[in-house]
Amino acid sequence: MKFYPYKRLNRPIALRVTSASLKLPDGTRDHLDTSAFSVPQRTVALGVAQHDAWVSARIGLSATLPPGAMADDAPWSGLRVLVMLTDGETNVRRVVDLRQDAPGSKEWSGTVELLRDEHVGRASLSAQAVATVDDVPGRSIAETDEDWTVDVTADEPLGGLRLDVKQVGFARSSRAWLQAYADVPWIVDTSGRVPAVWVNTDVEGFSDLLDAENGGIENKVHELLVSQMSTDVWTAVFHSALGDLEVEPDGSPVFPTDWRGEVLREMLPDVAPGAHVEEALRRVHRRRTGDAGWVELQTRIHYAAVRRAGAGKALSQALRALQQLNRGDKA
Amino acid sequence: MIEKPYRLPARLGLLSAAAAEPFLTEDLLKGVEGHAGVDLDKVVEPSDDDDPRWEVEPLRDLIEDAMHAFRDNRTQADAWLAPRLHAALRLTRREAADRRLWNHLALAVAPDYVAWRHYSRTTSRIGPERFRGALDRQCFSRLWWAAEMFRDGGDYAPVVAACGNQDLIHSALRRELIDHRPTAQALVRVLERGIATTGREIEGLMTAINTVAVTVVYDAFAPDLPRDPDALGTWIAEAGNATSVPRHTLPYGPDEDPAPPESVEALTRYFIDLFETAPIRGRESQR
Repeated sequence: MKFYPYKRLNRPIALRVTSASLKLPDGTRDHLDTSAFSVPQRTVALGVAQHDAWVSARIGLSATLPPGAMADDAPWSGLRVLVMLTDGETNVRRVVDLRQDAPGSKEWSGTVELLRDEHVGRASLSAQAVATVDDVPGRSIAETDEDWTVDVTADEPLGGLRLDVKQVGFARSSRAWLQAYADVPWIVDTSGRVPAVWVNTDVEGFSDLLDAENGGIENKVHELLVSQMSTDVWTAVFHSALGDLEVEPDGSPVFPTDWRGEVLREMLPDVAPGAHVEEALRRVHRRRTGDAGWVELQTRIHYAAVRRAGAGKALSQALRALQQLNRGDKA
Repeated sequence: MIEKPYRLPARLGLLSAAAAEPFLTEDLLKGVEGHAGVDLDKVVEPSDDDDPRWEVEPLRDLIEDAMHAFRDNRTQADAWLAPRLHAALRLTRREAADRRLWNHLALAVAPDYVAWRHYSRTTSRIGPERFRGALDRQCFSRLWWAAEMFRDGGDYAPVVAACGNQDLIHSALRRELIDHRPTAQALVRVLERGIATTGREIEGLMTAINTVAVTVVYDAFAPDLPRDPDALGTWIAEAGNATSVPRHTLPYGPDEDPAPPESVEALTRYFIDLFETAPIRGRESQR
C-alpha cells in the first residue's frame, strides 16, 4: 500500500488495445485482425501476420478512467491521460497523450507507434492519468494496475515465459560448442535473450517422437518427455535469474525487467510461500549469497519447477495409457 | 598481460554466452594469457550479409588508439571511446541489445582492451561480466549504451560529460529514469554545474528522482519528441561511406532532433531544487 500526500483516485485505469497495424517497407499498411491481441492475456502479438520485415506498428488504445475523475468538485485541474510504451531491453520510453472521446467523458483513446528497430522481444504499455494537484503539475492521480505486453515477434498473443526450442544434431553441428554435449538428448541454455532448449536429433527417432501428435502411447511418452524437459528448463531459468540479480547499494535485490523477472515472479510464491514477491526475492537472495539455507531451498525450487512443468499430469496420463495397453495385450 | 589476438576475425559475428564459456579461462580472467583465436572462430555465428558495419579493422584501430592515448589513466578512456565507438559501430537499439555481438567484440577482437581497462589490482582479476555480461556492465556495450542514452541527437558532448564521471554512468545505466531523454540531459547539466558530483551525491539524487517519480510524471511537464527513425536509418546506411571516426574532435551522431531545450531546462531546475531541499543521503552538508 502506497500513501500519497495528495488526493487521487483509488481505482485503476482500464486500458484496452483496440487495433494494431503494421507499416511495411513498401509504405503500405497491414491491419491485423483481432486475433493479434488478447484481452485476458493483455498481450499483443505483432508476429501474427508473418511479415518478415516491418517498419513500425501502430497500436490503437482506449482507456476508461475510474469514477470520480471528471467530478466537478475534483481537487485537480488540467487532467491528461498518458500512455507509456517502455522496453527494458532497449531502454525505450515513448509517451503519448490520449484524447478525451467527448467533453466530460471518462473514455479516452489514441494510438502509439512502435518502431521495429527499437525492440527485440517484448515491450510494455501502461497508462497514467496526470493533473495539477495543489499547484503541483504532473501529479499521477491514477494508473493501470497491470501492463499490456506487446510482443514484436510472437505469432500468438500468449503471456508467460517464452521458450526457444531448436532441434539439431549435436555431434556435427556447425555450432561447434554443441559438440561437447553430443552424448545427451537435450541441453538447456539460459544465457541468451530467451531461454532455449537444444534438442539433439542425433538420438534416433527422438525428433519424430517430439513431433508426434497422432494419439496413442507415443503421444503420452512425448508429453512425459516434454514435462521432463520443462522441469529442467524451469529449474535452470530460476537459477540463472537468481544468479544474475542486480543489487541496490543497500544490498536489496532488484527485479530484472526481462524474462528473468517473469520467472522469479512466477516461481517465488512456491519457493518462498506466504511472502510477498518482493520480500520473497530478498529472502531467497539472502539464502543464496549468505552462509546457510541455500541447500535446503533446493527442494522448494525443484517443487516449483515440477509443478509448472505439469509433470504430475503427464505421468498419470502415461501410466494410464500403459495400463490400457497392457490390458489390451491380455485381452 | 593479455596481448592483441594473434588471429583477428575480419568481421564481427555473434558469440553466445554458452559458446563463450569455455574461453573464459582462469588464465584469461587473471590477465595472464589469452585464448587461441582459431578455436573461438569455430563457435561464432558469422554475420549474415556483407554489411560494412561488421568490419573489425576500424574498431580495432580505434580501440588501440584509446589504449595508447590513455595508457596512464585508463578510466578516462571511457569518455573518449564511448562516443567514438558509438559513431564507428552504427547500430539500431535492437541490434545493440544483442549481447552476442558484444561478447564477440570483447573475446575475439579486443580481449587485451578488456584486460587493460578492467583488470582489478585489488582482486588480481578481470570480472567475467566485462567479457560477457549485462549490457550495462560489459566492457564495450556499457560504453555504446552510455553514448546512446546520453547523446543529444547528433551531439556527443553530453556523453563525454556523463562518462567522465564513473559514478554517474554506473548508477544511471542500470536505472530506467534515463530512458527519458530530457532527464538524462538534465542530469548531465546538474553534474556540469557542479551541484551533485560525488558518487554518493549522484546516487542520492537519483534515488530522490526515482522516489518523486512515483507521484510525479516528468513527461507531463518535460515532454520529449518522438524519435525520427529516418534520421537513424540514414546514418546507419551511410556507415559504409563514412570516413574513420575523428580522434581529436568529437564525431557527429545521427541527425536527430535534440531533446527539447525547455524540457531539459525545466528538469534541470527541478532536480537542483530537489537536490537542495530533499533529504538526500550522501549530500555533503544540509545547505
